[in-house]
Amino acid sequence: MKTDSNAYLTFALGDEKFAIPVDHVQEVVEFGQVTKVPNAPLYMLGIINLRGRVLPLLDTKLKLGLTSTDRTKKSRIMVLDITTTDDKNLQIGATVDVAREVVEISANEIQEAPEFENLKTTAPITGIVNRQGDITLIMDITRVFSVSEVLELNRSLN
Amino acid sequence: MLSAMDSNQKRFVEDALDLLNELDEGLLQLEANPQASAPLEQVFRTMHTIKGGANMFGFENIGELAHHLETLYDLVRQGKMPVSDGLISITLHAFDKVRDLLQEKDASKIANAESLKDHLKIAVQFLKSVETESASSVSNGSNSAITKDELATFFIRVSPTISMTPDGNHPLVFIIQDLEALGTAKTFCYKRGDATVIHWDIFLSTTTAQPEIESYFLFVENECKVEYSKLLASDLFSSDEFRQFIEQFEAAPVTVDVLQEVVKKLAATVENKTEHEAETEEPNAAGKKKFNDTYIKVSKRKIDDLLNWISELIILQAQLVNATSHINSVEITEVTEQLEMITSRLRDTSLEIGLVPIETLVTKFKRLVRDLSKTLNKKVNFLSEGAETEMDKDVIELMAEPMIHIIRNCIDHGIESPADRKMMGKSEHGTVKLKAFNSSSYVNIIISDDGKGINRESVLKKAIERGLVTADAVLTEEETLSLIFHPGLSTASTVSDVSGRGVGMDVVKQKINDLRGYVSIKSTPGKGTSIHIKLPLSRSIIEGLLVKVEETRYVVPLNVIDRIDRISYDTLIRDNHVNKTVVVNEEILPVFSLRKKFHNETAVPKTTDIISVTVNGVKKGIAVDRIEGKMQTVMKPLGDVYQHQDFIAGSTILGDGSLALVLDPARLFQLSEN
Repeated sequence: MKTDSNAYLTFALGDEKFAIPVDHVQEVVEFGQVTKVPNAPLYMLGIINLRGRVLPLLDTKLKLGLTSTDRTKKSRIMVLDITTTDDKNLQIGATVDVAREVVEISANEIQEAPEFENLKTTAPITGIVNRQGDITLIMDITRVFSVSEVLELNRSLN
Repeated sequence: MLSAMDSNQKRFVEDALDLLNELDEGLLQLEANPQASAPLEQVFRTMHTIKGGANMFGFENIGELAHHLETLYDLVRQGKMPVSDGLISITLHAFDKVRDLLQEKDASKIANAESLKDHLKIAVQFLKSVETESASSVSNGSNSAITKDELATFFIRVSPTISMTPDGNHPLVFIIQDLEALGTAKTFCYKRGDATVIHWDIFLSTTTAQPEIESYFLFVENECKVEYSKLLASDLFSSDEFRQFIEQFEAAPVTVDVLQEVVKKLAATVENKTEHEAETEEPNAAGKKKFNDTYIKVSKRKIDDLLNWISELIILQAQLVNATSHINSVEITEVTEQLEMITSRLRDTSLEIGLVPIETLVTKFKRLVRDLSKTLNKKVNFLSEGAETEMDKDVIELMAEPMIHIIRNCIDHGIESPADRKMMGKSEHGTVKLKAFNSSSYVNIIISDDGKGINRESVLKKAIERGLVTADAVLTEEETLSLIFHPGLSTASTVSDVSGRGVGMDVVKQKINDLRGYVSIKSTPGKGTSIHIKLPLSRSIIEGLLVKVEETRYVVPLNVIDRIDRISYDTLIRDNHVNKTVVVNEEILPVFSLRKKFHNETAVPKTTDIISVTVNGVKKGIAVDRIEGKMQTVMKPLGDVYQHQDFIAGSTILGDGSLALVLDPARLFQLSEN
């Protein structure tokens, strides 16, 4: 989904700071009860009840190949509504260590993402913002949670 | 230039697609009864409506085509030309093109489409040829203009020679209705104990001549016997005495002799009464018959929204009961009980909103059977029963393709050529039958044919050739037949245009599985094949047993549960989630332990509850920690990402806001087989 909005939600996974276009984010909520679905891969944490809606909850860090960390007081769930690259409409909850703020990032601030030599994640990074050494990676969230990829992973772990 | 459709155009397209279905239905009826006026009027009216709408919303090309075809049918109405195969075919094909075109999202593409031009040309040429032909045939009078006879009252007794019910979908039932529409009519239907028809007695006063009435039965000659008696060359219904006289036949049929006697006496009083009465009534009676219920068109989104709100209301209501359970107040209890009753009614009604009769599919199938049997030079009757059975609209749409495939197979592989059938002592006409009915929370659809059946040996041979089964495998009949659902197995020895590409029955099965339905097949060599599809009535409501394993709650659908027993946990064999040696109720039951499969075995309970279920005809058990109670609830899908956890049918929100997982027992057991 392309829009003219320059608003991004920033969040932290481990030490790194990421940003995704705010259009994909319906809201950010605190952790509640999670019901585990058996026989599912580890990063598929289960399902949650969001005011009468049932949403799958995915561990963003595990999905990106990072080590998952324990839930803290700051842990949050981003409720995402994304049209994935394989053209499916997906509503999911994705965990983040810290949800920060909504910021404006103008297009000319965004630099092309360099080829990371020692990239710790498989995150699809589409750009980098460097504000006086404060680095924010812009992530293509639609690719992270493309259904076919999620399913493929799901199958292989089964 | 790209132009999106405005809302009026969108509505036109929706309406037009419905109208095209009606048109198909009318055309097929007209083809079966070329002399009948009711389908002719319907066809004419429907085309007229399509024309009007198309012109109004900027699709003049569709309007023009409809206009020319309408002109042709107007000639038929005026008796200037007969209904011919050619006419029906060019109309069907032309409107097929329109239907294809209307799938287009871009309005200007529809309006500027060239594809209708050919059909327009054909229609115009057809008109020209008819005009020259009728000009030349006026002199010799050979054209079959419909000549109207004088008004007369007939007594017609129709005795079906095959077993049918009056509310069934046999063409005969519609023929009777068509007859009634020819004038003033009174019909009595006499039934046997099992509701099948012995015969219909129809009193009909009409201007239609007897040969024409007889022509109505042309295509069902083999399925019924019809006796005609012309009672009087006048309208007996204008006599009160006659009307009262025939009322008594409600209880028992009359004999023709008695009838003639009475009519003779009445004749004097009836003679010379107004003759045009019956005539004016004719078109009205035909038009009204269909609309005894009124309908409005509502967008799917609104219904979905409504259902969503209602399901949240149900959840809130359950939470309220929970929250107030400790308050000892008669007033509150009364209110919560009332609320519970009303929400449950609201839920039942709302569920029905989304259901539509499968009739639309049946029309599609009639058309398919007609076209296919012509292509393949086979004679095939299509019978349907229970077309009024209702199903979720989405499910109907999803089932169209698989069912079309099954019917194709029936005609292509099942039904033999007329010559072969004759040789085998069968009627030249094969029959494909669709039967739909409800059973508990399922809709059943049985598609059967009376063709040659499936050759088990050749299925097995092919399966061995392709390495699907080993050569020494011993398979039951059922197992052998179910091999046809295996990907890549097609038994047609030559690949035909129609079916037999080897993709097919496995896709059919997959689609039905996706809808959480079941499919089974029976076949008798020489006698035919029958495919039974069983689909859940609603995809969202579930009645079940709430159970707990460790801290997780599951719901087991109630409709598969036979009994519940409590046994000691130690009875289950350690390290094995499927136990084949558990004895419950003096029977050995394979038991699937949810705890052993999905949870850990620390702090195991002393006892375990065994829920005995029957899935696909086999008794099995599910072991849970304990049973918490019965519940009826709205099931919500887990979402696409949990597609592979298909043994969980969905989830449901409990009174305290927590979630329970709804099990799909059949798929749960599959999990242990793989």
